[in-house]
Amino acid sequence: MTTTSGPGVDLKAETIGLAASLELPLVIVDVQRGGPSTGLPTKTEQADLLLAMYGRHGEAPVPIVAARTPSHCFEATIEAARIALKYRTPVFLLSDGYLANGSEPWRLPEMDSLADISVPFTSEPNHTGPDGTAQFWPYLRDPVTLARPWAVPGTPGLEHRIGGLEKADGSGNVSYDPANHGRMVQLRAAKIASIVSDIAPVEVDADEGAELLVLGWGSTYGAIAAGVRRVRAKGARVAHAHLVHINPFPANLGEVVRAFPRVLVPEVNMGQLSRLVRAEYLVDAWSVNKVEGVPFKAAEIERAITAALGGGDPQEALGLCLEESSLAVSQAAGGANGSLLAGGGASNGNRKGSGASPNAAAPRPDMEEE
Amino acid sequence: MTDTATPVTTRKDWASDQEVRWCPGCGDYSILAAVQMLLPELGVRREQTVFVSGIGCAARFPYYMNTYGVHSIHGRAPAFATGLAVSRPDLDVWVVTGDGDALSIGGNHLIHALRRNVNITILMFNNQIYGLTKGQFSPTSEVGKVTKSTPFGSLATPFNPVSLALGAEATFVARTHDMDRKHMMETFRRAHAHKGAAFVEIYQNCNVFNDGAFERITGKDVRSSMLIPLVHGQPIRFGADGEKGVVMDSQGHARVVDVDSVGEDALVIHDEAREDPGLAFALSRLANGPYEPTPIGVFRAVAKADFGSGMAGQVDKARREPGVEGLDELLRSGSTWTIG
Repeated sequence: MTTTSGPGVDLKAETIGLAASLELPLVIVDVQRGGPSTGLPTKTEQADLLLAMYGRHGEAPVPIVAARTPSHCFEATIEAARIALKYRTPVFLLSDGYLANGSEPWRLPEMDSLADISVPFTSEPNHTGPDGTAQFWPYLRDPVTLARPWAVPGTPGLEHRIGGLEKADGSGNVSYDPANHGRMVQLRAAKIASIVSDIAPVEVDADEGAELLVLGWGSTYGAIAAGVRRVRAKGARVAHAHLVHINPFPANLGEVVRAFPRVLVPEVNMGQLSRLVRAEYLVDAWSVNKVEGVPFKAAEIERAITAALGGGDPQEALGLCLEESSLAVSQAAGGANGSLLAGGGASNGNRKGSGASPNAAAPRPDMEEE
Repeated sequence: MTDTATPVTTRKDWASDQEVRWCPGCGDYSILAAVQMLLPELGVRREQTVFVSGIGCAARFPYYMNTYGVHSIHGRAPAFATGLAVSRPDLDVWVVTGDGDALSIGGNHLIHALRRNVNITILMFNNQIYGLTKGQFSPTSEVGKVTKSTPFGSLATPFNPVSLALGAEATFVARTHDMDRKHMMETFRRAHAHKGAAFVEIYQNCNVFNDGAFERITGKDVRSSMLIPLVHGQPIRFGADGEKGVVMDSQGHARVVDVDSVGEDALVIHDEAREDPGLAFALSRLANGPYEPTPIGVFRAVAKADFGSGMAGQVDKARREPGVEGLDELLRSGSTWTIG
């Protein structure tokens, strides 16, 4: 297990890629800070999601687990370790400055109640050579999990070499064979994808007849849940789903996001989960963003939901768009739409530009509400 | 892990079934042979032996050993080896690296593994060139070296790996070369026996991209006058008839002299066990490069607690603290309360 508040992921990318190739367990805890670069070292942000998802050279898929409350960090860490150990893969555990500095009452679990995540190491050869000798092939996979056997140094008869060079499927010897590489790329991808059958479906807290799903991940859980309660108190009908597993997505997520005419994705970044959801499910997930080094407030989520339900622009409702004057350069460079910076999310293009001056940011509303 | 007698092995038992793919004539072959011939003599087991490497020609070494091994990433072998050696003190952990891997991108890992005195044996193949990438200057290339990446000559002062290791507080520092299997085997034997971080620089000929880099000191006909064997407790002498020797001048510099002109009593008595690394450092500076009389052998070998033992002691002590018999107790040892 290794930890960082973001810049370490840049540094460790090479090792994470190696772990994906060696197919050995590793948990990378990223307690996200404001970026880029040294950024806001003590402030919160959710802007490393796509880094966790894609930040390696080559095809190197890595599972992602995200904690949503301070106490959930305990469960999420066990879940990340469980996946890493069972599937012999690096796993990202995403937290952020808000969770790390937060606290809440936590009912201590009994250790006996926790699932056993220990790994049986391989102790016997698993292959017979052409001359009849017993051999150990480090890349013969479990047919269900596609995980490879794990023999640790000190085990007699199972001496083997592994490394960052591409390996022959099965024997694990260095291989430059084109078809083998194609097969190994697909096997590594299939192994990570297969985790979908081993994770919980996403739960949806939905009102009857709700037409808007608010989809979140990570530390926005509290603000989104509170924002949803507020609009409900005023009679609105909405749904809330919060992701713990982001790679792979839970099996039912496609069905969930397609079940609502509108999907709103609040994130403390420029729209990273919304891009993944749109790419995966071809739904018009609507990104709403705030990247100021501080978490969303319930009142902001409430305003965004209210705007979305009323046919307005949730990002404008947050009042976090740049002033029009500061967009002049971007508009000149970016074309007539001019929405380049306004909402940041992938969804802006077809939402904006209907009325006059969609990006004319209203004066920022007071944010006295908590 | 087992307490039965160590099986008798031969060189063949330590060679993997993989084809060795260095260039024909590469010095790496003789180093591999020296290691594979030495291991049967050490009373160690294949399953307890791990070779860790980074990136480069030398880094293919683990694939050729019938032991556990990992070919990791550029410069990071000491980091992997540190984790393994500290968590598994029962293993013999070897690092195989090169001048580029160890001294450029891996410089940081190397110096910290040395200063921590992690119980690992580091074999650094120094060919003064990046060979795998077909001939660019390395951190040990001489000033003026013309390579593909220094078409007008290298401007950078090279590292002296022995000086660097001594400056990094290494407790065992030695130098050998690929033309003398017996000397390699004896040096590796000493390095392996050392408890803590052992650093061995091996002058290694890259016959394709830097052929003859050490020829002026390791060639059979010049060896006796150009290599200075360091022997613990003995006056430092060399030459076909021992006619040359090493003295320390009034400025604390090591100098090569004619023994006849100063008398044997004036020669430096080599003391590898001296706590102060000053003598070893002065000897490391005797030659400006592999074209002047150059000391080989063990420069420094001092006893010091190794990192893993210290860490194991701390972990053991922490586990014996009252109230931390298990995770349940540990979790409930702080500010907790019971409801209802």
